[in-house]
Amino acid sequence: MKMLTKLAGAAALGALMAGGAMAEGLYAPNLAYRTGPFAATGIPLMNGQKDYMELMNARDGGIGGIAIDFDECETGYSTEKGVECYEKTKGKAIVTQPWSTGITLQVLPKTNVDEIPILAPGYGFSPMADGKVFQWAFNTPLSYWDGASILVKYLGSQGDLSGKKIAFLHLDHPFGKEPLPFLEAAAEAQGFELVPIPVGLKEMQNQSAQWLQIRRERPDYVIMWGWGAMNAGAITEAVKTKFPMENMLGVWWAGHDADLKIVGEDGKGYKSVSWSFPNPEAPIMADLQKYVVEPGKTLSNPEEMSGVFYSRGLVISMILGEGIRVAQEHAGKAEISPADLRWGLENLDISEARLEELGMTGMVPPFSTSCDNHTGHSGGWILEWDGEKFVKASDLIMPDSDMIAPLEKKAAMDYADANQPWPVNEACGG
Amino acid sequence: MLYRTAGQFKTSYKSDMALFPVRQDAVLLMVILGFAWVVFPLTASEFAFQTLLIPILIYALAAQGLNILTGYAGQLSLGTAAFMGVGAYACYKLVTLFPWMNPVLAILLSGFFSAGVGVAFGIPSLRIKGFYLAIATLAAQFFLVWLFEKWGWLYNYNASGAIQVPNLDMFGLYVAGPQASSIVQYYVVLAVVTLMTLLCINLTRGNLGRSWKATRDMDIAAELIGINLMRSKLTAFAVSSYVVGVAGALFVFMWRGAAEPNLFDIPLSFRILFIAIIGGLGSILGNYLGAILIVGLPVVLGTVPQALGLPISSAMVEHLNIMIVGALIVFFLIIEPHGLARLWALIREKLIIWPFPH
Repeated sequence: MKMLTKLAGAAALGALMAGGAMAEGLYAPNLAYRTGPFAATGIPLMNGQKDYMELMNARDGGIGGIAIDFDECETGYSTEKGVECYEKTKGKAIVTQPWSTGITLQVLPKTNVDEIPILAPGYGFSPMADGKVFQWAFNTPLSYWDGASILVKYLGSQGDLSGKKIAFLHLDHPFGKEPLPFLEAAAEAQGFELVPIPVGLKEMQNQSAQWLQIRRERPDYVIMWGWGAMNAGAITEAVKTKFPMENMLGVWWAGHDADLKIVGEDGKGYKSVSWSFPNPEAPIMADLQKYVVEPGKTLSNPEEMSGVFYSRGLVISMILGEGIRVAQEHAGKAEISPADLRWGLENLDISEARLEELGMTGMVPPFSTSCDNHTGHSGGWILEWDGEKFVKASDLIMPDSDMIAPLEKKAAMDYADANQPWPVNEACGG
Repeated sequence: MLYRTAGQFKTSYKSDMALFPVRQDAVLLMVILGFAWVVFPLTASEFAFQTLLIPILIYALAAQGLNILTGYAGQLSLGTAAFMGVGAYACYKLVTLFPWMNPVLAILLSGFFSAGVGVAFGIPSLRIKGFYLAIATLAAQFFLVWLFEKWGWLYNYNASGAIQVPNLDMFGLYVAGPQASSIVQYYVVLAVVTLMTLLCINLTRGNLGRSWKATRDMDIAAELIGINLMRSKLTAFAVSSYVVGVAGALFVFMWRGAAEPNLFDIPLSFRILFIAIIGGLGSILGNYLGAILIVGLPVVLGTVPQALGLPISSAMVEHLNIMIVGALIVFFLIIEPHGLARLWALIREKLIIWPFPH
């Protein structure tokens, strides 16, 4: 017995010391999912995020002279594991990157209490744009409502929408339902008919019932809000039922190269809205090659690195990196606190000039944030599948902010009311 | 030696039928309760509360509810998660419709809704048995999750289709929602779980429990000795669903903070069934042991490489974790097919006769 307690004591001591020795630099954990049903889409994103931070550490010695301790906590896209990771990392983390709408939903109310910024680029709750209410949450550079607005605007530029019929094929999940309030408002304003077609989580791979409905309804366009296995399922089903691909459009998460490679030529004309685009000519890609790929620090491969999702991972880490840099300049010290980082993320100014300095021209549209605008509303491009890869099919299209802003304000207020007491940033004007 | 029963005489039927006829059992339980009520809350970190203590208790309670139905009354059920969902949604509606209601009262009341739904889906058990009944409860699983998705009133027509726990206070202290501290939530969960466990132990030892066991062992014989099978089966469904419903309300209100319908899908049902089977069907203790193995162990294993400073990527840790836990489940079921509770019973028996085995 005595022996046992001694042993346990020694083990505990060892664990403590090892834990203490680990911490160095700014701790920026990422709640990654390299396992589970969504791993195929997760891995390129995670690799992009990781490689950008590796590059910062290898080339510049971190950001502002301090190394970034970029760590991954595996969630497998499960909300339960995500919350476990959040609890595990929140002690010393300066940011939390929840990586799933389910985890975001869960973590969102807690961040007010724990005072850690959530960085959810291009996902999460659209009303998070209202920085007065959601003080700690950031969904730069575009929210889902912005994305839906860009899609509707693009379709409007192809011909008058009134009297047209648009099917909205979406995952029956908080993520998929997210753009519905906006689309309903847009349908009323522009006079098109919206047909929401939900795809249950269990039906993702077998969407014959949904596509039968699409054939019966004969919509002019299909807007798809899908993720993971749902995208490949919908695209193969669309090809099988001979739905005209040029009339099918997806959200940015439905623009994954691997999903389209399955159908190849048959997928020609499929479009997806995006706020990121791979630019193989960008100087940052050469730097990545030199500092990350050649020393063998990457988990990626050349094919993946040329894809849309890898470059999106780079952009996401760039946003975090810029937030850290701005925060450091403001705080006047390298070792910033979560509250400093929040200031940094609220005062981002990603201009064309700054993108050029970063060597990322053309990879993301320029945008800037403020204390009452946590999204930035950068606008996005329509990408089109040409049979082999995604190419830009439009210039930068801006979302219809006049229409979205009141919706955001209202939804944010509703959320705050339902979660009283909810602190609101009164100091923020505008 | 530790478990020597010599000198503990039973001089009345009452002492022979006591909850703990062996004094050491009572002492052991007191020690465990002491840890649960005093030592853990004083020493546990936020991480331990949120990933170990609270979920283990809630999962153990859910498994206990299932164990009443499957382990004691012999009615196989695959709809546990759906009944948990009924409890959670009922609790959500109660606290949003009546904001003045005491949250703990709401949690205890929400169990009655799931008991009602449980009885309704238990009616087929009067005609069908075994695997066929499992399929009938599977129907409950599909139907209820579909209902949670489609019936907007249940989630107050939220755009996201998910329910979010508001801040609820009791005597000026937040017990649910983001403002609540983990230690308060832990005590609420612990109190409810202790109460439910006490209820279950006594029910299963009493008249009702005996009629359940008779039904499980041989229903025709039970009917011949005068047990009303309908009453026995339906009460098992009612009590089981009540406990499961309360566990579901705790699951969302005291732990998760938000829930979407597919949370209550089959994987959760299976998880709870595994806890009950690996812990031991027809036992109360087994649910706790099973929950520690299935819920607690992966969390502990996940922190080991980092604590030791091993450079393993977190995805690798996750893969290793799945393999180790899987192997352990197989291992435990091979050495004792009747579950961890039976394993403990054997160890205890050996300890009692040690050092002079026959």
